[in-house]
This record gives sequence, C-alpha cells and structure tokens, in this order.
Amino acid sequence: MTIDQLLVYFFGACALLGGVLMLVARHPMRVALALISCMLSLAGIYAMLGVHVVAVFQVLIYVGAVMVFMVYVIMLLDVRDPSFVRRYSRMLLPGVVLGALLAGALGISAIRLGAPAIQPGAGAAPSYLVQPFSVEFLREYWLHFELTSVLLVAAVVAAIAIIRSGRRSDG
Amino acid sequence: MNAPDFAISLVYIAYALAVLLTFGAILTWVERKQAAIMSDRIGANRAYVRIPFTQVKLIWLGLFHGMADGLKLLLKEDFKPLAYDKLAYALGPWLAIVPVLLVFAVVPFGGTLDPGRLFPSLAEWFGGRTYPMQIAPIDAGILIVFAFSGITIIGAMLAGWSSANKFSLLGALRAGSQLISYELVMGLTVLGIVLIFGTVNLGTIVERQSGTVLGFLPAWGIVYQPFAAVLFLIAGIAENKRIPFDLPEAESELISGYFTEYSAMKQGVFMLSEFIEIAVIGALFVTLFFGGYNLPWMNDTGFVFPGGHAVPLSHGWVVVLQLLTFLGKVFLLCSFQILVRWTLPRFRWDQLLRFAWKFLLPLAIANLVVTAVALWVQQA
Repeated sequence: MTIDQLLVYFFGACALLGGVLMLVARHPMRVALALISCMLSLAGIYAMLGVHVVAVFQVLIYVGAVMVFMVYVIMLLDVRDPSFVRRYSRMLLPGVVLGALLAGALGISAIRLGAPAIQPGAGAAPSYLVQPFSVEFLREYWLHFELTSVLLVAAVVAAIAIIRSGRRSDG
Repeated sequence: MNAPDFAISLVYIAYALAVLLTFGAILTWVERKQAAIMSDRIGANRAYVRIPFTQVKLIWLGLFHGMADGLKLLLKEDFKPLAYDKLAYALGPWLAIVPVLLVFAVVPFGGTLDPGRLFPSLAEWFGGRTYPMQIAPIDAGILIVFAFSGITIIGAMLAGWSSANKFSLLGALRAGSQLISYELVMGLTVLGIVLIFGTVNLGTIVERQSGTVLGFLPAWGIVYQPFAAVLFLIAGIAENKRIPFDLPEAESELISGYFTEYSAMKQGVFMLSEFIEIAVIGALFVTLFFGGYNLPWMNDTGFVFPGGHAVPLSHGWVVVLQLLTFLGKVFLLCSFQILVRWTLPRFRWDQLLRFAWKFLLPLAIANLVVTAVALWVQQA
C-alpha cells in the first residue's frame, strides 16, 4: 500500500467521522464544525484521486461560501434555544430506520460489486484540467447555471420583503 | 511518488516555511522601525543581547525586540475566559494561521530547477528530471488561493464567538462581513488577469510575464491591468484586517476584537498570522502583477534586453537570482503595505462596507468588462 492509498483511506475515515459527529453533536456550532471537517476530508479524497478542480470547488463553494454563512448565522443564535438542551427530535425513530436501510442497501451493493480498487491519481486526465472542465461545464449546463442565479435573486428579493414587512409590523 | 521527487518536495516545504516564518518575525521589527522613521522617532532600540563574560551589548537597531516578544508570549500565563466553548476556542488560532501558510503552496518562488545540473554528483539519482520551484504546481492555482483564504474567515468568527465576550462577538461579526465583502472584490479583480494570461495556473502566469510589451516594457500584469493591481492591493489589505480596514480588531473600540480573550502564544499566533499574511499578499501581488520571480527582461535562460541583446546566465546563477528577486520584491510589497498602515486613518463601519459594495465592486466589474471587450476586439 502506497502513501497515496493510505491518505485516501485516512481522508475517508475522517469524512465518515465528520458525518457521524454531525448527526450526534448537540450544539449547532459543533454540527457546523463537523460538517466543515467532513467536507474538507471529501475535498482531500478528490485531490488524492487527482481531480483537483472538483476538490478546489468543494472547498471554495461549500466551506468558503456556504459554511461561512452558516457559521455567521449560528454566531447570532440564542444560546437558550431548546435545540441546545433536547438532544433528539421527534423524527429520531424514522430517521434511524431509514438510515439503517440506506446503510444496509449500500453495504449489500458494495459486497455484490466487490470492493473497488482505489487508484490515486486516476482522475488526473486532461479533461479534468481547469480549462476543458470549465468549457465543458458551461457548454452542458449553462442554462441550469443561469437559472440558479435567477433563483438566488428571487430568494434575495423574498428575504428583503420578509424583513421589510417584519419591520413595519414592529412599528 | 519516488524518492527524488519526495526529497525535492521536502526541501521546498522547508524553504517555504522558513521564508514565511522569517518574514513573520522580521516584519514585526520592520513595522516598528518603519513607523518610527515615518513619524520621525528612533523606534525600538532597547532590547539587546550581551555577549557572556563581556560588557559588549549587541543592539543591532533593535532587531532583538522580536525575540524578546516571542519569549514573552511563550512564557506568559495562558489565561482562559470562564464561560467559553472549549473546542471552538482551541480551533480559532489554528484556522487563522494554517490556511495562510497553505496558500503559499501554489505560489511559484522560482523558475525551473534542474537539480542534476546544480549538483553533478547527484545527476544520476535525479535522472534528468526538472522541477518547477513551487510546492504544488497545480493547474487550479489561483482558485486554491481563494479556497484556503475562505477558511480564515471561519477562524476569525470561531475565535470571536467562542470567547463569550461581547467585544469579541462584535469583532467576529465585523470580520465576517468585511472578509466576505472584500473577497468578492478580490476575486473579480483577479479575473481580469486570468482573462489576459488565459490560465489560472500561477506558474504559467509568471512565465507569460517574462516577455515585453511595446518592445521595451516588461510584460508584467501591472502593465496590462493597472486598475486591477490597485484594487487587488486594497482588497488584500482589507482581507488582512489591517488599518485602514482593522475594524474587526479596532483597539480603541473593541480592545482587540475577535481575539480579545486570547492570551500568551494563542494571541501571538493571531499576530503572527497577520504578519505572515502581509508577506503572502505581497507574494500573490508579485506573482500576478510584478512578474513573479523574474527581473525585467529575464527568463529561465538569462536576460534578453530590448533590442535583442541577450545575456545568457548559468543555471545556478539563474536559480539564485530568481530566489533573491522574489524575496526582494515581496519585501518591497510588505514595506509598502506597512507604509499604508501607518499613513491612513481607520474607516467607520458603514463607510467600510459602502466602500466595498458601492465603490470597489462596480470598479472591479467595470475593469473586467473593459478587459473582456478589449480582448474580444483584439481577437476579432
């Protein structure tokens, strides 16, 4: 086993640990930290497989943008919120059952297919360099990409509208 | 990865860490002395090292003040606030300094290294392989810079939030909104350079700057994109949370903002990361706008002056010259940032965000549009 393979397994274990901690941690900030570490580990796996572009966007978009805003919001939360005290929600039982089913299905299919050989650097094909990747991305998904920005503008307008109406009722 | 590649990587990493930490230590002294010179004072000149058994005191222009500071921070009591989140409090300084160090991994600090030619006795071991002088010569270059600098925002916010102190929380809020705003400006300004050089790979960007424009000007980014250079430097200083953008840690309003409750070396790590970031922003600026590790009219083989007069240099001289040029340029940029810091007053809170969103952002977009149209006209 080479260093590269070991690192893939290491990041995989970290991602799994981060995911589990995200589910069982009680404090919202801990949950956010677990999610961040899970995402960083996933980026590590992508980077070890040679798809640097995907790894960079994983960090740039999920950690650098989404999670920054999450942490920003959690910072302003009230520490007396009931979610800090009560550990599990009412959806605990269905959640556990569905989670066990999903894990079982994934496990059975993994056993049937046999463990795939991990080949670090396998994704280091020229089509995963930044330029071909971005050209291909905008050729295939330009409509979806633009529609997403329309959706985001709508969300911003809605947020402003909610704040405005809330302020007016406060007097 | 085979043994020679691994050895070269280790050497590069050691070099980068040594350079960054030295810059961090030296810049504390430069800041004091330069501020003193600018305000017509003498500046730090008290700390000295006495040679044992003699009365000879080495003062060396106060160079030992940094050492005294380091010792003080290391030996001080590690005071912790009573009500605080232990995990986030411990993670804060790490998330502040590690991404700053990681950013340097994609910055090229020299041209191509051919170790076989430098050390003929090891030529067989290296088997004629050459290495770009860059820890991670990755295609995604500048994207990695933005990916890692996004993590520092989380560090500042975690530190401020976990301290259980209203001043710290205010500092963390300010840090969050300021860094998000100015990162946007920084990204948009860099896009102009990416359009001109047609790549996000920092190594290739530096190589494309080694020619000339109009026959005599060096083809540096600042010649193509003077506005972007100014905007990038402004956004860079704002990202580093230094005066005039030091609202997250404004001493007179928030004590030290998001790291008020940190003491001893934990506080020292925040300070050190700030000084290292000065050097990293200088390195990025040099790479994008000042021709990187090359002197004007220089490339990996030697000088080619305007008019076609070529002066070839040996590989060893080129490597040494490139390393020194890079360090020299970065140091000049650091000195300029310190000049700005001791010249301008602090922004007010609303001015800071208005400056980013209503002034810098439209300018950055205008710069991008003009660049795109100019390139399109040129190609048509």
